[in-house]
Amino acid sequence: MTETAPTETGLFAEEMTISVGPQHPSTHGVLRFVVKTDGEVISEAIPDVGYLHRSIEKIGEKVTYHGYVPYTDRADYLAAMFANQAFCMAAEKLAGTEVTRRGEFCRTIACELNRLASHLISVGTFGQDIGAMTPFVHALRERETINNLMEEICGARLTYNYIRIGGVGYDILPETLTKIGQFLDHFGPIVEEFNRLLSGNKIFIERLAGVAVVTKEDALSYNLVGPNLRASGIKWDIRRDIPYSVYPELDFEVPVGTAQVGSLGDSYDRFWVRIREMQESVKILYQCLKMLPKGPAISKVPKKFRPPAGECYARVEAPRGDMGFYVVSDGSEYPYRVRIRTGSYTAMSIIDKLSKGIMVADLVALIGSLDVDAPEIDR
Amino acid sequence: MKDGAFAGVPPQVVYAIGMVLTALVVLSAFVAPLAGLTSWLERRVWARMQSRVGPNRVGPQGILQWLADGIKNIMKEDIIPTAADQKLFPLAPYIVFMGFLCSFVVIPFGANLIVADLNIGILYLLAVTSLVVVGILMAGWASNNKWSLLGGMRSAAQIVSYEIPAGLAILTVIFLAGTMSMQGIIKAQGWGPWDWFMFHNPFTFCAFFLYFTAALAEGNRTPFDIPEAESELVAGYVTEYSGMRFLFFFFAEWGNLYVIGAVATTLFMGGWQVPPVTDNPVLLGILQFVTFFLKAYSWVFVAMWIRATLPRVRVDQLMALCWKYMVPLSFICLLGTIGFMFMSEPGRRIFGALTLGFAIATMINFFRRVGFQFRAAKPEFYWKPQI
Amino acid sequence: MGVVASYLNDIKAAVTSTFEGMSITFSHLMRKPMTIQYPDKIPVPIQETLPHRYRGILEVDLDICTGCLACERDCPITCITIGIDMNKETKQRFFTHFDIDVCKCMYCGLCSEACPTGAIRHSQEFEGASYNPAGLVRHFAPQTQNLYKPKKGGETEPKLVTKVDIGQKYLDEFATPDGGGAAEEG
Repeated sequence: MTETAPTETGLFAEEMTISVGPQHPSTHGVLRFVVKTDGEVISEAIPDVGYLHRSIEKIGEKVTYHGYVPYTDRADYLAAMFANQAFCMAAEKLAGTEVTRRGEFCRTIACELNRLASHLISVGTFGQDIGAMTPFVHALRERETINNLMEEICGARLTYNYIRIGGVGYDILPETLTKIGQFLDHFGPIVEEFNRLLSGNKIFIERLAGVAVVTKEDALSYNLVGPNLRASGIKWDIRRDIPYSVYPELDFEVPVGTAQVGSLGDSYDRFWVRIREMQESVKILYQCLKMLPKGPAISKVPKKFRPPAGECYARVEAPRGDMGFYVVSDGSEYPYRVRIRTGSYTAMSIIDKLSKGIMVADLVALIGSLDVDAPEIDR
Repeated sequence: MKDGAFAGVPPQVVYAIGMVLTALVVLSAFVAPLAGLTSWLERRVWARMQSRVGPNRVGPQGILQWLADGIKNIMKEDIIPTAADQKLFPLAPYIVFMGFLCSFVVIPFGANLIVADLNIGILYLLAVTSLVVVGILMAGWASNNKWSLLGGMRSAAQIVSYEIPAGLAILTVIFLAGTMSMQGIIKAQGWGPWDWFMFHNPFTFCAFFLYFTAALAEGNRTPFDIPEAESELVAGYVTEYSGMRFLFFFFAEWGNLYVIGAVATTLFMGGWQVPPVTDNPVLLGILQFVTFFLKAYSWVFVAMWIRATLPRVRVDQLMALCWKYMVPLSFICLLGTIGFMFMSEPGRRIFGALTLGFAIATMINFFRRVGFQFRAAKPEFYWKPQI
Repeated sequence: MGVVASYLNDIKAAVTSTFEGMSITFSHLMRKPMTIQYPDKIPVPIQETLPHRYRGILEVDLDICTGCLACERDCPITCITIGIDMNKETKQRFFTHFDIDVCKCMYCGLCSEACPTGAIRHSQEFEGASYNPAGLVRHFAPQTQNLYKPKKGGETEPKLVTKVDIGQKYLDEFATPDGGGAAEEG
């Protein structure tokens, strides 16, 4: 603990070391920060990760390729589809398997629905951290409908095991497609209402405008990805720049931060980019529902999946950024090494830099706006 | 009395004992269930605003939920951390509770229903509610927990700062009424909205909102609930408390909501004044009590509504809001009201009517906006409070 | 002048956005809550409202289980343990035990996909809490039972026909390379 020089009255002041977490209502998951403050102003915030480590990467060496797909769900349980998809893309690249066209569209529908669900949680909990409890419950109400849709599609609400090697596990029934369409019609006005309730609120704007600004250079050098990167003004989206699946055929915008209030790359920009991404996902879903072709939803893949020896890296645009799976195969039916690259892990590294000089309340806003979540960090 | 149970006792002492007993009756029969019911109502109102149901199992529609919570908390183990200050830690909740209970002595429930009509009524109320600061600081320090300390410090700064706009807004009304006694202020108003101090002139209208906001800040309610900000400081100054001591803090908070509403009604909304419909004193008393209660409780509802809607302000923004916005505005309101006191009565009436008209127009606009929100989201309509 | 204008603008923005937010929360007071008041105030038990594909707690119909051990092999978390023995005289193979540890199961559905007859399936059950971990190991072969031999040309014994049909209906939900998955009507 550093002591400052005695003040005029002869009193000594000391920095206070607080531990934010691991049990804390607003660190997203089991995270811990060792925070040194001088009263309310933070001088250092060092993240301490590892409380949710489950050795997912090591487990990859012990189970078969088909058997590993349910484990990838748990790498980020709020955006489980994307991890499924990234791993299956890596395995398909290794073995040279083609995915059927209907399978690709089913994958995209499921992924964009999952993106909506994940962003709803993100903005909802962000509002809750700032103190607005009502938008959180409204966001969860909408997410319940999405969970019901996912339950109809694949039988599970959170850890889907839906996207398989070669396509998808279950076909989407026409009744479910109708329900998805109805949900999308209902969801557009709900986002507008959410904006009127939370995003337009003066107190909310004042809390976030100009807080924890991430400049373009910092965003690139600290390797931020996803909405965090786009909020700082850099237009980089894997769906557009390294396209995969059917995204080249779909028409959607990539929202970038525009210094809506305050500066470019502040917390409000990160929040606003996520709201805009939800609206873009709705557009994508409408197109997918129209363009869904007939045919089989999965291609022929051997039961004992043995890709030839080699290595492969597949990346997808997950809600929290670029999620990449690096799979090394040695020709047997178990992978030799699976390595998961997630966006939240790199976002943790910028927290210490940004937290110098802000207040404890702003630290909470910063962590929420970066949308880090513990399962992605610790895997 | 020369003989009997009270022989030899001077009459002042008997009178004092009588007053203490009345106060006890008021406090236990009225305040305790009131604070409990407020907690239940708050949870139901929040729940409906969030498309949920809220507690509805314990008793009809969950109305005994507060009793169940109270009994559960009393039966809990009384944990006092070994490193906490052993004398101040248990004492803090009681001081907070005392500070809030003492204010009920001057709340006028009816023309003759007041425990003590002090002629410094409102000043006494302001002074006694400041006791809460001492209790919160004690709780924050004695917990020997850095989070509690932060919460306690924030709360002290907040409450002390917001005394000023609250006091100035109250001073506005005192100037108009000419007295600090609660009954006196009510008697200076009439039963109809055009006679209330709230619509007396545009400046008292602003003073009302300034008072309400400052009172919310003093009561640690959102958007100013930083001392107990759940998502930042775990639970602020109440982190180390459990069981009944924990509940005392919140008891004081919910009860304080009623005090805020009662003071707002007394000062700005005509208190217990009712149109002269009956001469029967009992009936009149009941009518006055019910009117006062409904008016005060509607502001409790508004405070719950605000808490469900707004996010929290940061500590430095809170201070900026107080010193840069509310203090200058309350001074302007004070000076403006003094100016209106020199105006002739018919001229002042026009301004009063304009203020009332503006308020009614805002209400109508508000409900039209509610209709718009409803039509935009196209939900399923369900207005019944019970479910 | 700009300072005064921004000062007044701040006040105006605060008041209008507060009113807007309050109108939205007030309008919610008149909307139907979305809560399903489980378990007392629901019209039908939740299990009946779940889709057919719902991956609840595993159940095994041992009457149509062929003992191929595909589910035990495919399970990524090894929660299924099957024991098969052979009667020396009659050369009839039978189950000694078929245990599923429900607390290990991760409800992925890979075992039910691998089953040839649909004997092991996910049910719509989700209420599986127990007071001790031993209660969470489901024993599906309480006494020894012979293996099922699927007949060529379809099942004929009436008791088993319905079971085989139910198993097949469950397997039809999965997507297959030849367009299966109950999606095509024509």
